[in-house]
Amino acid sequence: MRVLVIEDEPDLARQIAATLEEAGYAVDMAHDGEEGHFLGDTEPYDAVVLDLGLPVMDGLTVLERWRRDGKDMPVLILTARDRWSEKVAGFDAGADDYVTKPFQMEELLARLRALIRRAAGHATVQLDCGPVVLDTRGGRVTVDDVTIKLTAQEYKILAYLMHHQEKIVSRTELTEHVYDQDFDRDSNTIEVFIGRLRKKLGVDVIKTERGLGYRMSAPEDSGGNSGETPKGKANKNAG
Amino acid sequence: MRANSLAFRLVVGAGMWIAAAIIAGGIVLSAVFRDHVERSFDAQLLVYLDALVSVTEGDNRGRVVITRPLGDPRYEQPYSGWYWQISGISGPMLRSRSLWDQALTPDFALISPSAATSYQMQGIQSRQLRIVGRDVSIPGIVSSLQFVVTGDRAAIEAEIQNFNTTLAWSLGLFGCGLVLAVFIQVRFGLLPLRRISMALSAIRSGRESRLAGQFPSEIEPLASEINTLLEHNEEVLERARTHVGNLAHALKTPISVLANESGARKGSLEEAVDKQTGIMRRYVDHYLSQARTAASSSVLGARTEVLPVIEDLRRTLKRIHAERSIELEVHGDPDTSFRGERHDLEEMLGNLIDNACKWARARVWITMGVEGTELKIAIEDDGPGLAPEKHDEVFNRGHRLDEATPGSGLGLAIVRDTAGLYGGDIALCESDFGGLKVVLILPAAEKGEGQEAEKEEPAA
Repeated sequence: MRVLVIEDEPDLARQIAATLEEAGYAVDMAHDGEEGHFLGDTEPYDAVVLDLGLPVMDGLTVLERWRRDGKDMPVLILTARDRWSEKVAGFDAGADDYVTKPFQMEELLARLRALIRRAAGHATVQLDCGPVVLDTRGGRVTVDDVTIKLTAQEYKILAYLMHHQEKIVSRTELTEHVYDQDFDRDSNTIEVFIGRLRKKLGVDVIKTERGLGYRMSAPEDSGGNSGETPKGKANKNAG
Repeated sequence: MRANSLAFRLVVGAGMWIAAAIIAGGIVLSAVFRDHVERSFDAQLLVYLDALVSVTEGDNRGRVVITRPLGDPRYEQPYSGWYWQISGISGPMLRSRSLWDQALTPDFALISPSAATSYQMQGIQSRQLRIVGRDVSIPGIVSSLQFVVTGDRAAIEAEIQNFNTTLAWSLGLFGCGLVLAVFIQVRFGLLPLRRISMALSAIRSGRESRLAGQFPSEIEPLASEINTLLEHNEEVLERARTHVGNLAHALKTPISVLANESGARKGSLEEAVDKQTGIMRRYVDHYLSQARTAASSSVLGARTEVLPVIEDLRRTLKRIHAERSIELEVHGDPDTSFRGERHDLEEMLGNLIDNACKWARARVWITMGVEGTELKIAIEDDGPGLAPEKHDEVFNRGHRLDEATPGSGLGLAIVRDTAGLYGGDIALCESDFGGLKVVLILPAAEKGEGQEAEKEEPAA
C-alpha cells in the first residue's frame, strides 16, 4: 500500500510518514500543493493524506483537479479548519474523509486503513483469503489461526494482494504500490519476496499468471470464500 | 430635562432675556400710561379752570360773583378733593361748596398757568391733589384775581393701579408663552441629537450597524464621522478576530506535532507534554469558538434557510460515518428559515447531528418546524440514549461521557453558547425512538423577510 502525504509542516510530515511506514505503508511526501498534485497525478497511490493550507497550490484545488482528471484514489483531508462549512466543502470537492488537527496518530491511522479497505471494496478491518487472515488494525497475519512473522516488505506485498484478491496484479503495479518513489526499484526482487511469502504462508494462495503477474485467491478446496467478505460477517466487526 | 444639558442652557438663557425684556417693557408701558392719564386729567382741570373764569364776573358793586355753578357735582360734595377757589389780595373771596370750611393755601410761585402740578393739601382733609391756577383780571374788578382748581389724585392712582395689574398679568402670561415656545423650539431643534443618540443605542444593541437617515447640515459631519469611526472599529475588530482565528489555527499543527512526538514514548516529560498539549488544545478550541460566535453576533438581518444546510450536512455526515451506513431522515416544514448567520446554524446543527450519528444504531431523525417566532429543530437517534440525571453534565466544558467517542467534548457547550447569542436555547429529553432527543430552539425568520439572505462565503 503506497500513501502520499502532502503536508507543509516538516515535523508533522515526518511524524506521519514515520507512523505510516511503521504500519507497513510505503510513503511519499510532498511539501507543497504543486509537488503534491504532480505526484498524485503521475504515481499510483492507494491513499492520500492532504493538508488544506498548502503553499503554492491550495489543498482543495489539488483535490478538485485530481477529481476532474478522473483520479479516484481515496483522499483523507488533514487540516486545522474545523468548521462544518469547511468540512462540507472538503467532501464536496471529493474528499473521502476529514480529520481535524490536532489529531491523534492512532485515529489517522485507523481512518486511513478504513479508507483503503473501503476503496478496495472490503467492509471489515479483517481480510481473509481462505486460511490466510490479515488484520489491518494490528498488521497481523495468521494462517489457520497461527501467527506468521513477516518482514516489512513481505507484509506490504501481501497486504496489497489481499486488498486486490481475485485480480491480476502485475509486477510493475506491485512495485509501484509497495515501494516509495525514492526506492531503487528492481522488479526481480518482487519475485524473491513472493517466493519467501509462499514459503512462509505454506498454502497456495498466490498464483503466478504467466506473463501477466500474480493473482491472490483462496485455494479451491476451502470453498473459494474470498474477495468480498459476506455482509453478515462484516457487521460483527464493524464499528 | 437635566441641569447639564443643551436644552437647559438654551431655555434658561432665553428665559432670562425674556424676563428682562418684559420687565423693561412693563416699566416703560406703565410710565407712558401714567403720563397719558395725568395729561388728560390735567387737561380736564384746565377746562374746569377756563369754565370757572368764564362764569366769574364783577357785579355793579365791585364784588365777585359766580353766574352759574360749574356743573360737576363733585364740586358740591364736601371734601371730595375736587375744589375751586378765587382769591384776591386780601385773601380767599369765593370757594367751592366742597371746600366747606377749609381754604386752599397754595404757593402761587409754583403754580403754572398752563400745566397742572401736584399739591399736598394741609389740614384734616389732607390728601394728594392736582392743582391748576391762573391770575386773571375780571372786568369790573379793580385788582386781578387768583383762580385755582383742584382734582383728586386718587382717581388717577386707581386707574394706574388697575392698568398696572392688567399689564403685569398679561406680560407675565406673554412671558410664560414665550418660554414655552422656546422650550418647544429647543426640543424640536435638538431632535436630531436625540435621534443620533437613539441611533447609537440601536447600534450598541446590535439592531443597526450604521447611523442611518438624513441629519441636519450642522450634525451631518458628526454623523458621517461616527459612521467612519464605526467602520474603522469594525475593521480593527475583524482584523483582531482574523488574527485570533489564524493564531488558533496555526497553533493546531505544532500542538499535533508535540502531542504525536510525546505520545509515542513514556516518561515524565512526555506525560507533562501530553497533559499540557491537551490543555492547549482545549484553549484553542474555546477561543476559536468564542471568536467565531462574537463575530457572528453583529450580523444583522441575516436569514438562512434550514433545509439546504441540513442537506449539506447530511451529504457530509453520510461520508464521515460511511462505515456505519446511518440513515438520516429529514421531516417537517421544508420552508423554515433561521434569523441568523448560516455559519452559526451549520456549526450548531453539524455538532448536534454528528453527535447523534456517533451514538445512533442505524437511524437519525431531524424534524424542523416553526412555532410562533420560534424555530425548533429536533434531532433524535435510536442509540442508547442518556440518563436524565446526566443531561446537565454534557454541557460542562471539556466533559465527555464516553472518552472513546472522538470529539473534544466542547460540542454541546458551544452549541448552547451560540444558541444563547441568538436568544435561543437547547433542550435534552428522551426520544420515542429510544435514544437522545436534542431540541434546538432558535429565532425563526418570517417567510419572505430579509430576501438578502446571507450567502455562504467560500470556505477559506
